[in-house]
Amino acid sequence: MNLASLALRNLRRRPVRSSLSILGIGLAVGSALALMSLSHSIKDSTRAGLDEMGDDLVVMQKGASDIFGGFIAEDTVASVTAVPGVARASGELFMFAPSGPDRNMLTQGWADDSYLWKKVPLRAGRVPVAGERGVAVLGEGAATALGKKLGDDVAVLAATFRVIGIANYTALINRGLILMPLSDLQKVSLRPNQVTVIHVNVVRGDAGGNLEQVKTAIEALGNLTASTANEVLNKDRNFAILDAVSLAIALIAVAMGAIYVLNALVMATQERTREIGIFAAIGWSRPRIMASILVEGILLCLIGCALGLALSFAAATAFPHIPAIGDLVSFSPSATLIAATLAAAFVLCVLGALFPAWRAIRMLPAEALRRI
Amino acid sequence: MNTKLELANPQSAAPLIALRGVSRVHDGGAITALNNIDLEIRSGDCVAIVGASGSGKSSLLNLMCGIDYPTAGTVSWNGQPVRRHAEWARLRRTSIGVVFQEFNLIPTLTAIENVELALLGRGLSAARRLARASIVLDRVGLEPRLHNRVTTLSGGERQRVAIARALANEPQLLLADEPTGSLDSTNAALVADQLFRLRANPNMTIVLITHDEALAARCARQVRVKDGGIIEDSGATVVTPAVASWRAP
Repeated sequence: MNLASLALRNLRRRPVRSSLSILGIGLAVGSALALMSLSHSIKDSTRAGLDEMGDDLVVMQKGASDIFGGFIAEDTVASVTAVPGVARASGELFMFAPSGPDRNMLTQGWADDSYLWKKVPLRAGRVPVAGERGVAVLGEGAATALGKKLGDDVAVLAATFRVIGIANYTALINRGLILMPLSDLQKVSLRPNQVTVIHVNVVRGDAGGNLEQVKTAIEALGNLTASTANEVLNKDRNFAILDAVSLAIALIAVAMGAIYVLNALVMATQERTREIGIFAAIGWSRPRIMASILVEGILLCLIGCALGLALSFAAATAFPHIPAIGDLVSFSPSATLIAATLAAAFVLCVLGALFPAWRAIRMLPAEALRRI
Repeated sequence: MNTKLELANPQSAAPLIALRGVSRVHDGGAITALNNIDLEIRSGDCVAIVGASGSGKSSLLNLMCGIDYPTAGTVSWNGQPVRRHAEWARLRRTSIGVVFQEFNLIPTLTAIENVELALLGRGLSAARRLARASIVLDRVGLEPRLHNRVTTLSGGERQRVAIARALANEPQLLLADEPTGSLDSTNAALVADQLFRLRANPNMTIVLITHDEALAARCARQVRVKDGGIIEDSGATVVTPAVASWRAP
């Protein structure tokens, strides 16, 4: 027998309470992990989406709070293209657009001559030819989510577009895209001659300018900010809010797990006050008594964390089937995120176990032995 | 501050345990459990502390094993005052065994596991702990019941498990608080025989708390307690004046 086996036996002594505590910790850890992972996933997915488009710089309206929030006059694209060191630039109107009664799809409009059309990894069909209107290319995820195939009509805002291509992007966020000619999207969204961002490729090699110099030159055009994909995400207010909210909720969830441990152990030590008195009477030191209660809390926490991890991965399989987010985000927590969440849960649970342990050793053994 | 307690030496002039001017009050002085007690017990003594219920004899035992603290006076082990919780815990782990009237066993554990509990933290391997627990249980006649959960044992058997647990660390001082108080006459006789058999070891010091005169008579020395004070001591040694009072830590 050792402290761990004694603690395990104590947990088995109260199977319902122990199970409920473990379930509580599991749900708390699972929710925290899912929330944090979701937040990271949205950010990672957006970063991967921008990377897949091959951007060196993303030009936005100066002061725009997020990637959707700024508007730039379409003719600025030509000015940006003319900046020394810029190889090519493409304006893009980017928005969440309603498609059907209960879906909002990420929708992008590109000019007919945009280089981005040439980079679309088509799985089936084609991209629009210059001057072609009323057509759309769907990312594979969007096609699946909307149940559309080549030749079908897809509703975007108040108009209908014929699906002429299915794109096989790898980034999850791009797989959920609806792509259409810029002028079509400007028309249906009542934003004529406007784009949201300008994608920029800079000249490579010796002929190319320094990225910082190109950024400075673009920003000198006035009312513009040029950023790399990472900078865009770091400056994005939506992501900042998402990160803060998910972190706060995750901490609350994990703190709830700690309270489950605290509650379970306070009850257990109250019930076992006499037992603790016996340990003291046979010569157990205060640290050993404290350790026996802490070990019990740690066991609860470890089992709860394992359950939480299992629950969160089980929930991950359900993510793709959630209509609102399934085609935009994936649940793929990094090892660092898992380690950080489990570490936070562990620390909070140990803190939750410390209080009952401290209470137990404060009592005089004779007093504890008098308890029924 | 005393941090190391000497092992008792039978030849030593110092008593094994000594209480000097010890008082214990509860509820801020409203209840006096013990009042200015002076008592010395030498190595190898067999002492019965006798008194009616509420006389203070259990309070005396609690102070002698450090599971309670005096509100005034000093308790010394082998001539050195013991004040700190950790010192008392170490003495209970190494030198003092306690047997309670209510057995105070862990109900979810078996007989051998209850005894093994007392050996945890002694730096012994699990195999050595179990071997030693098995030996002491055998010594009290419980070898066939080693792996029985204590809730399945009779009162007499439980008390013998408690005695085995108290003996597991080969203590110099065995304190037994009404060890037969919860037992029927047959089991009481068995347990009493078990305890007095320990007298075969001349270095074993036994302090028996009882209200049973017949049991007390089997001890060489009887100390009678009433209203928190000692009213008679059949083998009183010279008692030195109380040292400076101290508060419980």
